[in-house]
Amino acid sequence: MATKPDSIYRSLDRKAAAIVEFTLRQYRTKKSTWVVLGVGFTALSLIFMIYIDVMSSEFESIDNDGDSYDYDNDGYPTGQEVKLGTDPFNFESHPGLFDPPIEPEPASMYINEDGFDWDITTKIGDQSVGYDDDGDCLNVNRTDSQKDTNGNGIPCDIVVSFISTQSQLGDRIVIDVDADNGVDEDPDEDAYSREAIHLAFILSIGKLGFVLLLGIFLPLFLATGLVRDEMTSGTMHFMLAKPIARSEIFLYRVIGYLGIVWPYVILLGILGGLVSGFVGSGDSFFRFADLGVWLAIVFATMMATLVYGMLFNALGVLWKYGIILAIPFAAWELGMALLSMGAPDSTLLRFSIIGWALMIVDAAAMMVWPNLDMFIAMGDWGGGGDGGTIFGSSLQGSAPLNFFSSKPGLGLSPFVATIISTLVLLLQAAVFWFLGSVLFKGKEIQ
Amino acid sequence: MMPDFDQQGAAQTKEWVPETNAPAILLENVSKSYGRIFALSNITLALNGGVTGILGMNGAGKSTLFNLLMGKLKVSQGTIKLFGTDPWKNPAPYARVGFVPEHEKMYDWMTAHGFVSTFARLNGLTRDEAGIEADRVLEFVGLTDVAHKKIGQFSKGMRQRVKIAHALVNDPELIILDEPLQGCDPLARTTIMNVIRELGKMGRTVLVSSHILQEIERITEQIVILHHGRLLALGNLHSIRERLDQIPHRISIQADNPKALAKDVIDIDEVFGISFPDGENLSIQTHNLGAIHAQLPRIIVENNHKVTTIDNPDDDLASILGYLTSGGRV
Repeated sequence: MATKPDSIYRSLDRKAAAIVEFTLRQYRTKKSTWVVLGVGFTALSLIFMIYIDVMSSEFESIDNDGDSYDYDNDGYPTGQEVKLGTDPFNFESHPGLFDPPIEPEPASMYINEDGFDWDITTKIGDQSVGYDDDGDCLNVNRTDSQKDTNGNGIPCDIVVSFISTQSQLGDRIVIDVDADNGVDEDPDEDAYSREAIHLAFILSIGKLGFVLLLGIFLPLFLATGLVRDEMTSGTMHFMLAKPIARSEIFLYRVIGYLGIVWPYVILLGILGGLVSGFVGSGDSFFRFADLGVWLAIVFATMMATLVYGMLFNALGVLWKYGIILAIPFAAWELGMALLSMGAPDSTLLRFSIIGWALMIVDAAAMMVWPNLDMFIAMGDWGGGGDGGTIFGSSLQGSAPLNFFSSKPGLGLSPFVATIISTLVLLLQAAVFWFLGSVLFKGKEIQ
Repeated sequence: MMPDFDQQGAAQTKEWVPETNAPAILLENVSKSYGRIFALSNITLALNGGVTGILGMNGAGKSTLFNLLMGKLKVSQGTIKLFGTDPWKNPAPYARVGFVPEHEKMYDWMTAHGFVSTFARLNGLTRDEAGIEADRVLEFVGLTDVAHKKIGQFSKGMRQRVKIAHALVNDPELIILDEPLQGCDPLARTTIMNVIRELGKMGRTVLVSSHILQEIERITEQIVILHHGRLLALGNLHSIRERLDQIPHRISIQADNPKALAKDVIDIDEVFGISFPDGENLSIQTHNLGAIHAQLPRIIVENNHKVTTIDNPDDDLASILGYLTSGGRV
């Protein structure tokens, strides 16, 4: 006869392994598991396909400064006439009357002819950037004051100011762009929008598709019944008749659930990283830099599935129809996810799970793309569209990128924010485990 | 464990150790109520060693008793101890207990061997140990041939035997079986009864519930009768029967010529009444069932009567309960 264990806290690893293995095998036999995982995969695949379609289409090039037009119908685009000193609004004045006459240049030469030349880092204060590629600012016919409309003493540059402001929602950095006329005024829309939409895609699918959708719906359908289904069907009797505490059954069931959910999230994350890496804009064959953000997305989703798994499992123990109790939580979390996009410093977010999980993604985005703020400001400015010319406007892609990116709250460095939010999420998981165990222990099972 | 609100004296760090002298099962004034309905009321019972049958009609409180013992329900009043420990607060004694639940639902997708070995590991066995133990217990209940087939394909009797195997895998000192014979075919019934008797011979404490007297009778003589949540009788089945002998029994005989048979039967001393419920049946009243059954065959054979059936309509649980609850009056 084998020696009897003196306490239930003996051989916990063996008991844990048995329940985890049992839970995994049980999931495998359930149709609902495959339906949930299949639907999740299909939904994300569709978004990936939309992304591939967007990235393969051409973004229309716009002549932001209008110098490709030939207003006086003399056959010469305005840009050429300005460069050579003739009057672009006078039919009688054009370079064809020169001796020797100069052939008109194609209008396309004056589209996207002055792109962004910004090379700065995010820091408080004014910085001078920009270069007048097409020479319409540095034109010899212009006076010094015409060349320095922003009045900073440097002709033909752009002053980018990072201004730290304090508001109800905490410290924010506002970026102000003040350009001399004719500097970087006709950027390449296709290049900018392709990059901006690529970045916005990673952030949006990461935050909404992974952390929110997978993070809530996988646990909603897979974790709510972890203990409850066994109680309802009467099979819980087998497990409860063993020398093992109920809180451990609760925990090991959740670990078993993570055993199927985490690899699934990692696989989808790898798929997302591959798709965005190969399809995304850039000169290289594969964009390795974005993988850092994908790593954070996968990690944040794993943490979210852990915390929601504990919570929904506890709700399942609490009530037979625990999934109904879980729905208000899911709605609250959806609201919090949207709030975190607009107001990442809001105090309400501290009372959510998703707020902390999204902070991990934001922190990683800040680390991997340090110039994201400037990039968004660049697109908003869009070549001076807000500076008064009727042709300019914000570039496509900057608005969604602005919406989906946000600063990790708390005013901390991204690294510290990642560590703090991870600790908070682990604490939340521990609290829900404790609550679930207390509920489970007090439950009479017929 | 309750928190120590007083916070006086040294901290208690008592680890659970089995109480060696505690009886396997000890109930003191145990009641379990749901609102104003008592599922069990004021049960006091101590059991240690041997096979005990728990008899009771459906709803008598057998399953409630077992669920209390297995820590699934909390007692409303009284104390319940399993090897000296309250099972609601501490699942540790289950290391020495095997439980066969009444519920029919099982994990149909598992093989018998997979089911038994997986749950054996919850007793702290390694995977290899659990596999060996599973083989052993499956052989004990006679399921070696189908050990690697899915439980979903099993008949009712085989499923019951898998459940019993699963409960025996930790070599328990106390085995609790809730209606193990329900719905089984005769062959499975015999196998299960043999298994239970074997466990009793091995010195284990076995608790088996049923609502059919004849089943329990074939397994054990020590019985506990529950009725409407109360403990009605406890002890040897024979002594209970002897008490029953003080009260009248009926024997119903179906014969070709009941009146001729009655004439012969009336000569037996123990018979004190005869009636004819209908044209083919004869009903005999007696205080001594055994004496009648000893003489009846001889009378029938000697007088050449043609008898179709001999039946003791009173000799079932319902009528025993009737006698016991009505204080011996019919």
